[in-house]
Amino acid sequence: MNLVPDLIAVALLLSITAYSTAGGVDFGAGIWDLLAGQSARGRQARALIDHAMAPVWEVNNVWLVMAIVLCWTGFPLLFQSTFLSLYPLFALALVGLILRGAFFAFRHVADEPRSHRIADLVFGASSVLTPFFFAASLGAIASGQVGVNGPSQSVLAASFNPMSISFGLVSLAATAFSGASFLVGDARRYGAGELVGYFRRRAVAAAAVLIVMGSVALVTIGLEAPALLRSMLAGRGLPFALATMILTPLVAVLHARAIFRWYRVLTVAAVGSMVMAWGFAQSPYMLPGRLTIAQAIAPPGTQALLLIVGAGLVVVIVPAMALLYYLDQRSALDAPEA
Amino acid sequence: MTDGMTSTLWLAGESALLPSRIQMAFTLASHVLLVPLGVALPALTLLMEGIGIARNDPVALKIARRWSVVMAVQFAVGAVTGTILSFEFGILWPRMMGRFGAAIGLGFAIEGLAFFLEAIFIGIYLYGWERLPRRTHFLLGLVLVPAGLLGAFGVLSANAWMNTPGGVTLQSGRLVDVDAMAALFTHALGYEFWHFLVAIYMTAGFAVASVYAVAWLRGRRDHYQRLAFLVPFTVAAALTPFQLVIGDLSARALVGDQPAKFAAMEITWKTRDQNPEVVGGLIDDAGNVRFGLSIPVLDSLLVGYSPNAVVRGLTDFAANARPSTVEANITHLAFDAMVGLGTVGAALSAWYFWVLLRRRRLPDSRWFYRLAALSGVGCYLAVESGWVTTEVGRQPWIVYGLMRVSDAVTSAPASFVWTMLATLVVIYGLLAYFFVTLLLRLAARWRREDLQAGPAPEEGAPYGPRPARLPGVESS
Repeated sequence: MNLVPDLIAVALLLSITAYSTAGGVDFGAGIWDLLAGQSARGRQARALIDHAMAPVWEVNNVWLVMAIVLCWTGFPLLFQSTFLSLYPLFALALVGLILRGAFFAFRHVADEPRSHRIADLVFGASSVLTPFFFAASLGAIASGQVGVNGPSQSVLAASFNPMSISFGLVSLAATAFSGASFLVGDARRYGAGELVGYFRRRAVAAAAVLIVMGSVALVTIGLEAPALLRSMLAGRGLPFALATMILTPLVAVLHARAIFRWYRVLTVAAVGSMVMAWGFAQSPYMLPGRLTIAQAIAPPGTQALLLIVGAGLVVVIVPAMALLYYLDQRSALDAPEA
Repeated sequence: MTDGMTSTLWLAGESALLPSRIQMAFTLASHVLLVPLGVALPALTLLMEGIGIARNDPVALKIARRWSVVMAVQFAVGAVTGTILSFEFGILWPRMMGRFGAAIGLGFAIEGLAFFLEAIFIGIYLYGWERLPRRTHFLLGLVLVPAGLLGAFGVLSANAWMNTPGGVTLQSGRLVDVDAMAALFTHALGYEFWHFLVAIYMTAGFAVASVYAVAWLRGRRDHYQRLAFLVPFTVAAALTPFQLVIGDLSARALVGDQPAKFAAMEITWKTRDQNPEVVGGLIDDAGNVRFGLSIPVLDSLLVGYSPNAVVRGLTDFAANARPSTVEANITHLAFDAMVGLGTVGAALSAWYFWVLLRRRRLPDSRWFYRLAALSGVGCYLAVESGWVTTEVGRQPWIVYGLMRVSDAVTSAPASFVWTMLATLVVIYGLLAYFFVTLLLRLAARWRREDLQAGPAPEEGAPYGPRPARLPGVESS
């Protein structure tokens, strides 16, 4: 039993999960922004999205940076192998990431309607690019095409294959789903009654698309990586796969019936479980069939320091985040009327 | 360059070394510009808030509140450019991270923790202006100061490790064990950390003060302008003499730690005693120095306190283990620019304290404020020059003595990296334009608000609290 390496691997998986869920809500809002159109209702929806995202603008990058730092420090060989094989995917995701940041800021600067529309368009499009290509990289890893020290065939074959593309599509459905689900909450909070229904309908539709895309992805995994599918449906991935399969329709039912309880927590749980199902199904392999956690882990001295940093994170960050959340909730309640 | 050579650069099989170096230099140079205000502006803001609380001065509190908005906007942009950098380690230099990630990553892990803390506490600080008791708000804000220091420590620890690697056990080139403490605290960290820390506090101080020096030149002479100039300028000016000492110690430490880098900084070709100090000037492939001002024996005096002190030259090192002539010239000119700018800053600081202490008032010479208005730009140039000195001076090594840049580079085709570089240049240009526009808008809004009451400064800023009402949406 390799307790510490496994712990660090779980921490890496948790950072990826946190980025997929917290960042996913953010990207999903961007997708709905893109789809909102130019009608009066669409403009209202866009105003809500803008409003809901402003305070967390790019703060989700913290999770991404944490995942990448954990990867290169804790599992240097995994980091090197993944980037040697999948650099096109990461480059595309990065371009999306920075365009998103730039044009979100630009929306607040743009005056003329035309440049505002351009900003909306680029912002929305980059909200599609980034989650798609990040998720595609996980799919590419799961496909077994990433070899130690380089791709097993070619960089293009490793980056763009049925697995990577189906993971990317699932991520789009999942981010749209969690984005809509959380925007229901934001619409309620600001008393925008019509937008509550608007996003409820979209959350239900996105859940349906997610279920379809998820099923397609499972078939793809079955064809391309049967061992992974077995582990997902009969091995370590099972509890998480089950959770996703139950929770996604459940959240859709909550929205369909306008039951405003637990839906946000359950949305996070549904999307998070999906990522965990992949991670646990793949364990102990980091690169299926090629590199295990035990083979990729950094020397003991590095592991010890990562544990200390991890402990610091839990001790300091958790109460700080609770305080920020408390202040955010309070600000909505008692901010002075303008 | 002939057409044939130009086209081979673009061939798919060509090494991506050149575009990778340019891309890393470009993105790092951009990120470095955001660091001074990102790390040091919180401290200045809190100092101002502390003054406001202690003296019950609403003007000081207003200044602090506005600076906190600049801090947040700046942090948001830095978060993006910093994320790009972390991915570039994988896209451009995967082999360095694969081989040494377990050691070089330690500093970054600590930086990650600090980044998290800063992101959360900037949020708390902005949210808390009217929602927390004044003292609680101030005390919670204080967390930003050590968080910034911790972040700077992490990144500089990683950079110091690249300059003076330590704490690792290698077996046939493979890293088999890491002594975490020894790898975090390598020899170069001692001087790199203090030199950079003082540099960014000076830069933040001079940069903020230069805004209000411009206001003075335009005729604004009220309590607001005076206070907003005095506090940051005093901090920066007080740090300047320390920087001269730390900078001198840093250069001196390089004589032992990285003698090839030091030879490049001084463009010393052959090892010799009575070595002159060359100010400006360029060296050619035969070792002849052109242009520049050569001061006899000074370099030997500075290095060993004796005209007979021996200084090692570039030719003491194998050609593939020292900076090329071009790299040596870049290192040398950047070093001279940094020292020159630092000296001007020291003179300006001396002028300031002379007037302040002798006459017990702020200077009232237009020339002083003209120089003060340029001091911020000067500091940014000095920080960039210092960074060029340490990075270009380390060539051809990515990890000094252990791994060459050419062995760390990606196997991606050059055309891929050129394309990515071009894309990033365009997007960074846009980002810079939006960023500056946003800051100018804020400044214009605040000038208007000084004439009439308006919304709280932090409202609607990234990380700032949301306004209570949604614009354009009817409540139901």
